[in-house]
Amino acid sequence: MPSSQNPPVGSTALDPTAIRPAIDDARIIRTTPDALRDELVALRRDGYTMLLDVGGVDYLAREPRFDVVYHLLKLELNGTQAQRVRVLCGVPGADPVVPSVTDLWPSADWAEREVYDLFGVSFSGHPDLRRIQMPVEWEGHPLRKDYPLRGPARERTPRPSFALKSNVAAGTPAAGKTAAALQRQIAAARGQVVPAEADAARGGQLPKDGSK
Amino acid sequence: MSVESIVPAPAPKPAGALTMDVIEHTNNRMVLSMGPQHPSTHGVLQVMTEIEGETVTHAEPEIGYLHTGIEKSAENLFWTQASTVIERMDYLSPLSNALCYILGVEKLLGVTDLVPERARQVRVLLCELSRLASHCVWLGTGGIDLGAISTFFYAFDMRERILDLNELSGGARMHPNYLRIGGLRDDLPAGFLERLDTLIAMYKPRMTELRNLLQNNPILQDRMIDVGIISPEDAIAWGVTGPCLRATGVAYDVRKAFPYSGYENYDFDVVTRTEGDAYARFLVRLDEMDQSMRIVEQVRKNLVGGPIMADDTKFTPPPKETIAVSMEALIHHFKYVSESFRVPPGDVYQAVEGPRGELGYYIVSNGDNRPWRVRTRPASLYNLQILKKIAVGELIADMVVMIGSLDPVFGEVDR
Repeated sequence: MPSSQNPPVGSTALDPTAIRPAIDDARIIRTTPDALRDELVALRRDGYTMLLDVGGVDYLAREPRFDVVYHLLKLELNGTQAQRVRVLCGVPGADPVVPSVTDLWPSADWAEREVYDLFGVSFSGHPDLRRIQMPVEWEGHPLRKDYPLRGPARERTPRPSFALKSNVAAGTPAAGKTAAALQRQIAAARGQVVPAEADAARGGQLPKDGSK
Repeated sequence: MSVESIVPAPAPKPAGALTMDVIEHTNNRMVLSMGPQHPSTHGVLQVMTEIEGETVTHAEPEIGYLHTGIEKSAENLFWTQASTVIERMDYLSPLSNALCYILGVEKLLGVTDLVPERARQVRVLLCELSRLASHCVWLGTGGIDLGAISTFFYAFDMRERILDLNELSGGARMHPNYLRIGGLRDDLPAGFLERLDTLIAMYKPRMTELRNLLQNNPILQDRMIDVGIISPEDAIAWGVTGPCLRATGVAYDVRKAFPYSGYENYDFDVVTRTEGDAYARFLVRLDEMDQSMRIVEQVRKNLVGGPIMADDTKFTPPPKETIAVSMEALIHHFKYVSESFRVPPGDVYQAVEGPRGELGYYIVSNGDNRPWRVRTRPASLYNLQILKKIAVGELIADMVVMIGSLDPVFGEVDR
């Protein structure tokens, strides 16, 4: 078993696909957004007629940051063995745009929308590029590595801490330095301004900043 | 009393109001939203349809109502834990999902050959059983879509018996989480094989009953034949796989093309039809159930004994009985559970033949104890996508038939 004393590799920047053990699952082609369409057209002419999937990977600290991954399949014909090829297209994080292949394969339609939705990689030439899994008004792209697991921090109503939740605030007539300071803090926490006469009615002769 | 006083005279039309004639002559297309709460949409599918009379002129399926971020969750779980959430994707055949993910991780670890033969056989057995269970749901609910209520009970009774076997082996009916990286969690319990024999014995007569109820039923044939025709060219271009692809005449089956977990040792046929319509998909699935049962029978006959977990403590937990007596085993177990193991960096694409087609996982590891990325290739998503092509020109009532014959599972479509 590996030791927990080693720092986790996940926090460091690396490209796991570059240091790859020999796994015989598919031929791998690396390309760039500019050369992508030529590459895919050539593969299709070569017999890879089926676009099985378009997926995305966010490597965060790597440059180019994203990989858009195309899985192609050559069906078995006349006794030849079926073959797979995987095209990894590196996409820079600053300007993540990839040419769409929906005109070559209609199967790319929803898959490209999903990559756009969850990674924020845009596909130029896509006929209907909008969110598919997340609600249309959603902000952010959840499968990016810098997107927190539970989503962005939601706006919460300001809640006073335990000390500020004493019954002084509940309308009981309170007097004295402590009570007035508490009132002031509660009001500040709620974003209200305490009028001076309310302060005086409480019998407090406190400094206006509420310090004790 | 005269008739005129009982029947009120029609109110005079206000000037400028559209009369019915005008509407019909200008534009008689209307937009109808089917779902996401429609019972025939098998979950939460919304289809925005534009209809002219009863003919669909445009259909746009809207998905995402069941999106639960399983891929994001899997990135934040240990390698061993991720298979638990991954099983929840295609909830009708959870074992296919788990098997695909686990085979991928085993390839990344380079330990595919270490998995014992008995574990490989049981994996095949349970995956074929879950294909049967999944097709039983399709058969039952597909029958209900067409008004055939009684088939539902026949099909779900058989499914219940398969789920009983799941419960016996894994402890849970729907999501047993029984397959593990390196093998299986436990050996098959006593009484499992006897129950399996009962299922095998009941299968043939039950399928005969189901076929008698449905296959040559003229009402069913009227509803299904020549509905939702997919040509082989379209199926390939749209990425359709599984029974929907084989119903067009393309004999692509991952179990034959890229055998895994010992499928090359079993004798079964790839069922194809050439019509490509809903009825052909129906027949392909029925025949596929028979082929699945053939594989189950072969596994049952040739099941070997021996270990069910790979003998390599780098990625397997220590045997439970050693924990009480060995300090090293206790430490090992603690570390296995609390921090899991690390997987060498790399990426792999692993595919299995799920009940709906090619189910694939593209798994990326960066050497950590959690997957960097788990991308699913959902078969249902691509099969459902072609609905917007095949629905055009069909009747709105046949939309239900087409959705049913594509057999999408929205846990997998939306993930």
